[in-house]
Amino acid sequence: MSTSGGLTDRRGIPAAAFVEDVQIYLSQLNLDVNSALAILQERLQQYRVVEMKLLAQQRDLQAKIPDIEKCLDVVATLQSKKGTGEDLIADFEVSEGIYSRARIEEAESVCLWLGANVMLDYSCEEATVLLQKNLENAKASLEVLVADLQFLRDQVTITQVTIARVYNWDVHQRRLQQAAATPSES
Amino acid sequence: MQFSIYNYTFPPLLKYSISYLSVDSCYFPFSSARAVKPLLLLGTQPSSISTMQQAGSSASETEVTWEDQQNINKFGRLNNRLHEVEDEIKIAKETNESLEDAGNELILTDEEIVRFQIGEVFAHVPKEEVESRIEEMTEKTSNNLVKLEEEKESIIAQMAVLKKILYGKFKDYINLEED
Repeated sequence: MSTSGGLTDRRGIPAAAFVEDVQIYLSQLNLDVNSALAILQERLQQYRVVEMKLLAQQRDLQAKIPDIEKCLDVVATLQSKKGTGEDLIADFEVSEGIYSRARIEEAESVCLWLGANVMLDYSCEEATVLLQKNLENAKASLEVLVADLQFLRDQVTITQVTIARVYNWDVHQRRLQQAAATPSES
Repeated sequence: MQFSIYNYTFPPLLKYSISYLSVDSCYFPFSSARAVKPLLLLGTQPSSISTMQQAGSSASETEVTWEDQQNINKFGRLNNRLHEVEDEIKIAKETNESLEDAGNELILTDEEIVRFQIGEVFAHVPKEEVESRIEEMTEKTSNNLVKLEEEKESIIAQMAVLKKILYGKFKDYINLEED
């Protein structure tokens, strides 16, 4: 395929080859217009599938980050209460619409839910460090994901443009043939 | 998302009808993550074949270079980011309003201890601390809002520049408007 300024593949997403000249592209592939269009359409579908997947991952991450920030907030509050010797009184949800009062005394350690039915006990400082690390990882993954999505959308645009140009070239060819045919008929 | 190129229309379900005798003017619409309704295709009278051929031949001579493609891609990215920023601005404005309401309620109440939500629980917090917390949150949201508005301005400016370039090269054959 004739390409220029080629993009390399990115994390499993194949780059769409940019077509300089439709004629050369088709002759290199040795395909007629309809099969070329079919292949490009298929490519487009595959890109769409990957896009759906990435969007779902992005939504998950975007929900996770505020959760981690809330946890950090709680741990920070517990830590600030530590020095004062006061107890923290909080209302927490027992069930939907039902709340109960809790007295939280001097908190030396907190338990963190690590997932997979595992919960570990940490001191407040360790907990803060761990949560901070999780938050940074989540934010970094989100950045990479967003970049992937941008790359993917670019490839989708390139493929759509190529489809349009191939089809247009075909129409142009047919018109030329028609124009060549009519004078000979008359 | 639907877009049309010259006389080839892609309906959303990818079933397409090809009509070689349609379209007086061709256009090259821009596709974004949101649905972009293309301009209407013009009439399909057989009598307009001659003008079509002229239009067709001039249209297909406009080649798309790699630089054009990159401009189109960049426009797409900016458009997507613009929508995301607009959504974020909406959320930030709502948060600002809620914080303001909370602040007002706080002034009106005469309780000494306020139940302030931290994480999933409502901790009993003295009024002054709640006030300072709300102030802090309001400041953070306002700064965020200002940043987002600035980003939005810059995106719109960049998109205007790209529009000029692309319309300049492709004139009628490209559609960069939305809905």
